[in-house]
Amino acid sequence: MGNAFFVVWRESLEAFLIAGILYAWLQANDDSGKGKRALFGGLAAGAGLAVLLGWALLSVQDELTGEALEIFQTATLFVAAGLITQMVLWMRKHGRQMKARLHADLAAAAEKSGYLGVAVVAALAVAREGAETVIFLYGLAQGGEMSALAFGTVTGFTAAGFTAWLAAKSLAKLNIGLLLRLSSILLLILASALLMSALDRLIGAGYLPPLLDPLWDTSSLLDDTTKGGKLIADFSGYRARPALSELLIWAGYWGLVIVGWRKTHHG
Amino acid sequence: MKNALLSAVFGLFLVSTATMADDMPTFKVLMKDGRIQPDAVEVPANTRFRLEIKNEGPGAAEFESLELKKELVLAPGVTRTMVFFPLKPGTYKFFDDFHPETGQAKIVAK
Repeated sequence: MGNAFFVVWRESLEAFLIAGILYAWLQANDDSGKGKRALFGGLAAGAGLAVLLGWALLSVQDELTGEALEIFQTATLFVAAGLITQMVLWMRKHGRQMKARLHADLAAAAEKSGYLGVAVVAALAVAREGAETVIFLYGLAQGGEMSALAFGTVTGFTAAGFTAWLAAKSLAKLNIGLLLRLSSILLLILASALLMSALDRLIGAGYLPPLLDPLWDTSSLLDDTTKGGKLIADFSGYRARPALSELLIWAGYWGLVIVGWRKTHHG
Repeated sequence: MKNALLSAVFGLFLVSTATMADDMPTFKVLMKDGRIQPDAVEVPANTRFRLEIKNEGPGAAEFESLELKKELVLAPGVTRTMVFFPLKPGTYKFFDDFHPETGQAKIVAK
């Protein structure tokens, strides 16, 4: 039962965190309520997608469909990482506009696409990890472990929701400048972690040459195969034994983000 | 043009993996009740090989190895195979991400 709790908590935490951070940001910046509606719409759509994707993964019989789903999952990781990054840069620009209370009409157009971004990011976050949660819970149900199923679902979701609420609440306590900066950085780190899992999948499937693998081994400092280490790896993109090509792309990502960040500052 | 080239390369890759699939050594891994059998899979080093992973349940399992960059979710009763690229001699850990406390094993390449 403890295991069911841990797995559900871990699998759903990412989605809840993304939702929590977005909510805290919208709370501070958006009086119209449109952003929050977009957020909740996205979350609901994501839940539906999660069930659909989970069902697809469960019913896979042949290798070819398996491979297609694998490619689809890798693609969603890239799309999610890209969208979150783009959204953070949009939030940065938009947040400053709101603060200045200027160009209200001009912002309206950007607002619409921005809210769509919020909804899509929320939906992808829920769908991705949600699909695995669906399979895990389905497995429990099939094994007849109804009490573990009920216990794990209720406590796991509650704890993940609480964790995210705590994060959102602590963010909301900060002054607006700090809130914007911190929530942006958290989202960017999450996006880079998604990018790392996508690259892992590409290397594992043989589409991306690792060049040098592993480049180094820090598993004696922080082992990413343990329960806690894996959790850190999932959320930060940390790898104890990174491949050279992965590291280069990771560094390239942060390089681009920093350039984009500077640009929104001056623009 | 670029897309055509890309799909041609991709197609070649699929063909090459399909033809190479037959002479590949296959090893079996059994995931059962949060545990993995055997806890050490011995494979030849510097050779492509295949793992046939069966989840006997009860419950779903997730084969995962950050070191080998592989991840596969298995519903109870499902058997799937995974192709691995040539490994340098050494020990590579993998685990059941749905049962991280009990489901730990390794691949030993010799």
